[in-house]
Amino acid sequence: MPSIRGNVRVAFEFSLPSVCGNVRVAFEFTLGPLRLQEAFVASEASVFMNQPPPHMSRPSIIIKLILGLLWTITHLAISFLNLWSHLIYSLECYLISSGLLRKYQNLHLGRLKCLAIVVDSKEAKSTVKVKQLLCWLSSMGVKYVCLYDIEGVLKRSFEPAVNVSRDRTAGEHFGIGANIKDLHRSQREMVIDCLSGSDGKEGIAKAASLLCSTYFNGDTHGDGKRKPAFTEADMASALKAVGCGGPEPDLLLMYGPARCHLGFPAWRLRYTEITYMGPLKSMKYGAIVKALYNFSKKHQNYVLQIRYTN
Amino acid sequence: MLLLSHSSSATTTRGLAAAPPACSRRARLLLPRARAADTTGVGADRAAEALLQSGLRPESLPRHVAVVMDGNSRWARARGLTPADGHKAGGRNLERIVGLSRAWGIRALTAFVCSRENLSRPMAEVDYMMGLSEWLIGDNIDKLSRQGIRLQVIGDTTKMPGSLRSAAVQADEATRHNSQLHLMLAICYSGRWDMVQACRELAREAQANQLSPDDIDESLVAGKLATSAAGEFSCPDLVIRTSGELRLSNFLLWQSAYSEFFFTDKMWPDFGEAEYLEALRSFQGRDRRFGQSRLL
Repeated sequence: MPSIRGNVRVAFEFSLPSVCGNVRVAFEFTLGPLRLQEAFVASEASVFMNQPPPHMSRPSIIIKLILGLLWTITHLAISFLNLWSHLIYSLECYLISSGLLRKYQNLHLGRLKCLAIVVDSKEAKSTVKVKQLLCWLSSMGVKYVCLYDIEGVLKRSFEPAVNVSRDRTAGEHFGIGANIKDLHRSQREMVIDCLSGSDGKEGIAKAASLLCSTYFNGDTHGDGKRKPAFTEADMASALKAVGCGGPEPDLLLMYGPARCHLGFPAWRLRYTEITYMGPLKSMKYGAIVKALYNFSKKHQNYVLQIRYTN
Repeated sequence: MLLLSHSSSATTTRGLAAAPPACSRRARLLLPRARAADTTGVGADRAAEALLQSGLRPESLPRHVAVVMDGNSRWARARGLTPADGHKAGGRNLERIVGLSRAWGIRALTAFVCSRENLSRPMAEVDYMMGLSEWLIGDNIDKLSRQGIRLQVIGDTTKMPGSLRSAAVQADEATRHNSQLHLMLAICYSGRWDMVQACRELAREAQANQLSPDDIDESLVAGKLATSAAGEFSCPDLVIRTSGELRLSNFLLWQSAYSEFFFTDKMWPDFGEAEYLEALRSFQGRDRRFGQSRLL
């Protein structure tokens, strides 16, 4: 059995989920100078063996036990912290939902002209959850919602209903019995726009094709020397012409496993505030209120004529 | 850098955690090993070791990282310095992040230096920003060449001063054949401008009878975007924005369709190795489907 002389580094690492993202814990220390009777390859070998090989020396057994104990303690500590942060988060959402946190009671959504909801297509199949979300948004006073998923699940599920109920209060049509005490009191009309991947990159390609066709046809009588001078305004008009126009959302909430907008119409995302909300199945009323509240407190300074101050 | 600095006073909403992956644990005994031949500098070797020690899997790192370098002015203001000092500190930090990206095997890095909207700022600040960018490019061409880094400036060249344009062309020619890292500096850039200029390029090709307008589809548009020179790495896997702002600000709008977002409250000059590692860990912990349903 080969032996090792010199310093040996021992590293432990593990990852745990938390409400703030994965927590990765790694600690390592150096043993040595130490002479070991057996060699551990630098791979995924576990140091927790049920029965130590008979030829292992007592010091290495003790070291293994100590390492195992330290690992367990650290694991428990991190698990506890993770559980604690999850509890705090759930408590906060509950307090917000119940109206006990005063600052969240009156949302000033004057600046929220358009709210976008991006949902992972797999999670979008849970129409009950989506309906509940729309109910909540309606009760909060949101006026315009763009629902998006790349595969068009939401379009197929909701667009026919949206077209029928445009003149009715959204709460009345989408009411699913959400247990929000002021839901029936504050039903308001809410416009819902269902989008899919065909409104995103595909839409921009269609608009580009339209612009090129217009330019190409307009130059057929010329000598081809006129340079294409499309502007952003031209592109916006072309997008509208191909049915892919629409307002720029002020806030975008992402639901799903990944923090990405999954191809939401790129032309409309210039200054949209983006907030990741986690999986749709875990959505909480309080979390949405908090997101809208934080948005209402944001100050953006992106206008073309910037009043710059030092 | 001259990003849209904001005076937001709200706390940053980061949102909830994603669906958690299974808890994993590993124990390793790392045998002492000889340090790799120091062909790229002690810093790069140390950075690579830091990556290994942090537990990141090199094969799962993002291939293209985009950074919105926001917060230089606020960083300077908090220290009683001038915005120019903040931008200088931001420039130095960019050099640091470029070195780390190269050491960690990231293939493309796009840095949002200056937007077209920023050009509306006071002339003195805009001129300073352009001068700083020019100095940053010109001063680093040799170093980038030695390190195998390709430097490309993307953005509306008609809005850049002539000297900056020349420096960008010189840097592009000197580093064109480098392949360790493709560094793209977005100067006078905007996502909408990028899509419109792609459209103009396609129109020119249609004019030259190289294609028909009816043939234009997503892939043709993507092929004309400013980042297309990065080939398979043209779209970022990870977009990092510093200073607590939670938006793209007209940056890589098309290309970021499937990019993971990482928002941090740190100001750009303070975004160092530890923060970069945190962003990479966050990236590795996500379940990315690129819009597809999972087959399993």
